[in-house]
Amino acid sequence: MGFAIQHLTELKKKGSATLFPDTIKIMIGVASCGVAAGALPVMAAFRQGATEKGLPVMITKTGCAGMCYQEPLVDITIPDKGRFVYGRITPAAVPAMLAALQNNDIPDGALFRYSRHECLLDGTITHYPVPDKKNSAHTVPLMQTVPFYKGQYRLVLRNCGFIDPENISEYLAQGGYHALATVLNKKTPLQVIRAIEQSRLRGRGGAGFLTGLKWRICYTTDADQKYIVCNADEGDPGAYMDRSILESDPHAVLEGMLVAAYAIGATKGYVYIRDEYPLAIERMGQAIEQARDAQLVGDHILGSSFSCSISIVRGAGAFVCGEETALLKSIEGLCGEPHQRPPYPAVAGLWGKPTVINNVETLATIPVILTKGARWFSTIGTKKSTGTKVFSLVGKINHIGLVEVPLGTPLRDIIYTIGGGAGLDRTCKAVQTGGPSGGCIPEHLFNLPVEYDTLAHAGSIMGSGGMIVMDNTTCMVDVARYFMTFLEHESCGKCTPCRVGVRRMRELLDGMCKGTASEQDLYLLEQIARVVSTASLCGLGRTAPNPVLSGLRYFKDEFILHVRDKKCPAGVCNNLITYGISLSRCTGCGTCIKTCPVKAITGTKKKPHTIDTSRCIKCGACEEVCPVAAIAPC
Amino acid sequence: MITLQIDNVSVTVPEGTTLLEAAQRIGIWIPTLCHHEALTPYGGCRLCIVEVQEGATTRIVSSCTYRAQNGVHVSTCSDTIVALRKGILTLLLAEVPQSPVLQELAELLGVEHSSTFAPRNDLCIACGRCIRACREIVGVQAIDFAFRGYKRVAASPFFERSEDCIGCGTCVAVCPTGAIRLHDIPAGARVELSDGRQVEGPVRVIENWKVSFPFKRCSKCGEPFAPQVQLEYFTKQAHLPADFFDVCRECRQ
Amino acid sequence: MSSHQTVTINTNTHSHEPPSLIALLQKIQEVNGYLPQDALKQAAAEHGIPLSKLFAIATFYNAFSLIPQGKHIISICHGTACHVQKSENLNAHLARVLQLAEDEGTSSDLMFTLKKVRCLGCCSMAPVIKIDDTVFGTMTQAKAEKLIRSVEKGMPP
Repeated sequence: MGFAIQHLTELKKKGSATLFPDTIKIMIGVASCGVAAGALPVMAAFRQGATEKGLPVMITKTGCAGMCYQEPLVDITIPDKGRFVYGRITPAAVPAMLAALQNNDIPDGALFRYSRHECLLDGTITHYPVPDKKNSAHTVPLMQTVPFYKGQYRLVLRNCGFIDPENISEYLAQGGYHALATVLNKKTPLQVIRAIEQSRLRGRGGAGFLTGLKWRICYTTDADQKYIVCNADEGDPGAYMDRSILESDPHAVLEGMLVAAYAIGATKGYVYIRDEYPLAIERMGQAIEQARDAQLVGDHILGSSFSCSISIVRGAGAFVCGEETALLKSIEGLCGEPHQRPPYPAVAGLWGKPTVINNVETLATIPVILTKGARWFSTIGTKKSTGTKVFSLVGKINHIGLVEVPLGTPLRDIIYTIGGGAGLDRTCKAVQTGGPSGGCIPEHLFNLPVEYDTLAHAGSIMGSGGMIVMDNTTCMVDVARYFMTFLEHESCGKCTPCRVGVRRMRELLDGMCKGTASEQDLYLLEQIARVVSTASLCGLGRTAPNPVLSGLRYFKDEFILHVRDKKCPAGVCNNLITYGISLSRCTGCGTCIKTCPVKAITGTKKKPHTIDTSRCIKCGACEEVCPVAAIAPC
Repeated sequence: MITLQIDNVSVTVPEGTTLLEAAQRIGIWIPTLCHHEALTPYGGCRLCIVEVQEGATTRIVSSCTYRAQNGVHVSTCSDTIVALRKGILTLLLAEVPQSPVLQELAELLGVEHSSTFAPRNDLCIACGRCIRACREIVGVQAIDFAFRGYKRVAASPFFERSEDCIGCGTCVAVCPTGAIRLHDIPAGARVELSDGRQVEGPVRVIENWKVSFPFKRCSKCGEPFAPQVQLEYFTKQAHLPADFFDVCRECRQ
Repeated sequence: MSSHQTVTINTNTHSHEPPSLIALLQKIQEVNGYLPQDALKQAAAEHGIPLSKLFAIATFYNAFSLIPQGKHIISICHGTACHVQKSENLNAHLARVLQLAEDEGTSSDLMFTLKKVRCLGCCSMAPVIKIDDTVFGTMTQAKAEKLIRSVEKGMPP
């Protein structure tokens, strides 16, 4: 092992040098969010500008720092001056920033600054200079005081937004692959399993099954071939935690997989990444290549007797393939049809061989547990839900982004402190968790601690981590209809309750949103929901009624209004609303008249306009373009 | 051997026996639809569900696919199970109300037809029996499922003429809803298909797979007795002499 | 369920990792832009796979198309975050602009294919659309229409 370790030590040194260079360092977030917000032209502008000015700077890529609502994010470390983060940077803002740097100044407008960086795995602390009291940058808030980061514990996301995901040496420099090396050198597979069992880590994909137990079941099953599979088929709409982790710190997932493989006796691994995540596929592919070159993947890893090869399998677009048995069928290249268990994959999985399937976030947690210790890990979170959880906080919330908190954190803290509350002076109505398998937690329950059992008790589930905030402009009947439409499209069609039942539930909800349903339909909806939740073959079907049942549990009044009074109080369901122009607000500018696709709006210049509701198709285009917010549904 | 309790009756069965088979051994009837004793179990229709108590947990599983485990307690007709079976059958009956098999099951389980929902045009309830029969018994795999979810239906590739079909009609024999339309049109006769086309005999037509096969005529009596393609397939599969099927069964006796 | 019981699984008699049919179809679609019937028939014959099985897989997954796609693919995100930001209205508008009979489809001039996706994972910028490989956030009906027009004229998105 000596030669391999020496090679890694050299790479590690290289990584430290690029993480903490002597020159100005400019890091730009280029995970999918950043790229979508325009980070690549910003990076190009920095590169070009720096070259033109002859400015000695290091410009590197980094992943998702979590503060998605401020993308593109630019993180600048200036020797002797400090480390500062800027948000919503455009190419136009770059010249001024470079000019400041060239002038030995700190560019204006930083969102926050870092005073130190602590490497989670080895505890090393690097201090950054503090800006001089005379410098205006001295008032830039410290990262720890920023509401978005308050209460967060970035354990799984330890490297995201800090290292270059395309550079294995930076991963190594932050304690990466130390767990794997230790495990291969000093621990038996059973000792590794015991450590994970002691940590009480639960699967982060949604079901929350004890990871250690799953590994043990596979370990105790004899076979000539075993597999480790990473489930990166993150399909819950609104959830993108796994994508960010794969794009920002792929080695964390890879290391977790290799440790798992060692523990269960697998010599082959597959990372199943959904087709819709091309950047994640690319970054994971690069990581595997680099790991292979460093003797961390393949034959005789680090010179030990343990060999394991890892390949990527690209999904073909089916939400049901997030279900374990369907995922296995998909890796086998067939239709993603689940099958009833037993047999469990840990006993008979891929091609009939014992297979452990773990979620991306679960695997990224493994190196932390094995480096810092199971006992240390089990003190974070709560007794039954140890550790942290990454959530994608999206919807009607001011601070949209990726957050990581210790399990047991009250929902209130996540939404109001970290999330900054609902947008535009509106009040939060509910939070949807668990995607199409979950439910809505109403505002009056926001004191609930976020952990597996409390969410389940409230009628939702933890799920993979999507947290969609809804306000009073969200119609809860429409949300139920939305999820049923999604599930109807994604049902594999094998079993009657899901294939037919979900379709019927969707039809009933369509009727409620269109104003054609009766109160009898509400009763029928609940009847069918019961059949689907109890008799379906797989988890998709059994949890499919959750969004509907939780909507009925907490927002029955909205359903009754739709069904009995044919009204939509949130102003969403097209058939139940009418668009109107406020006489007092309208300035008669005529923009809506030009925009209306069916010429339903009339009016003369500078006089209030009117909508002919008989022609109006409720497309909402006028509401979108009105410069004075004079148009609204009612 | 595995020993378990089904409806409080103790039964011992060889390892690998399903709960459905075990129940049948002791005369307990469990309704089935997608199950067929000559085909591999599928577990799709969910009519055969039962409650299985393993230690502290109770689960609802399809008895046709669940292999018996030592010491489990199975309940085949608890109130929950009965209510769920009714619910499932109500959904299915609404899909294809004219199916005699579904109507018979409805009568047995006390289910009435509900006209709240529109029935299926194609009469297919995605039980998969035709597909499994074609694959496992006949071995030609001429058909498979198309689409997923509610749209899922047994189909020939591209919904066009199946080039692998041999016209044996096994799929028709196992279909519980009469969704597969087969016509044996005698010589001189003419039939109008559901798409309006007129077809003249002697030919076997299976509308769903868009196939039509001329019949082979017996060299002795001259009567058409089976699709030519089917006989050629059997000849090849069983390594029979080429003239084996020249004479029909009646004339051979 | 006993976790201490050791169970032996028999090895399969044939090579236990047969090539993936999904990967085969992905390759065919990469080359042709969609899955032409003839290509599938040829693949079935060449590899000894029942055509019915290929058709089953091709129609099961969202990624595959059995009909030619437009020159540009417009993916409109219907993730939950985008839905609450009125992605359905945006979709309806784009379908109108492209003169499609339904919410998804290919324009008659084969320039654009409009398809629904869930979810692109760019929820901070809802509602989101993707034209070919580029993602555009904070869309409005007017902005999206303008984008499509400029792509039509040949400008890169």
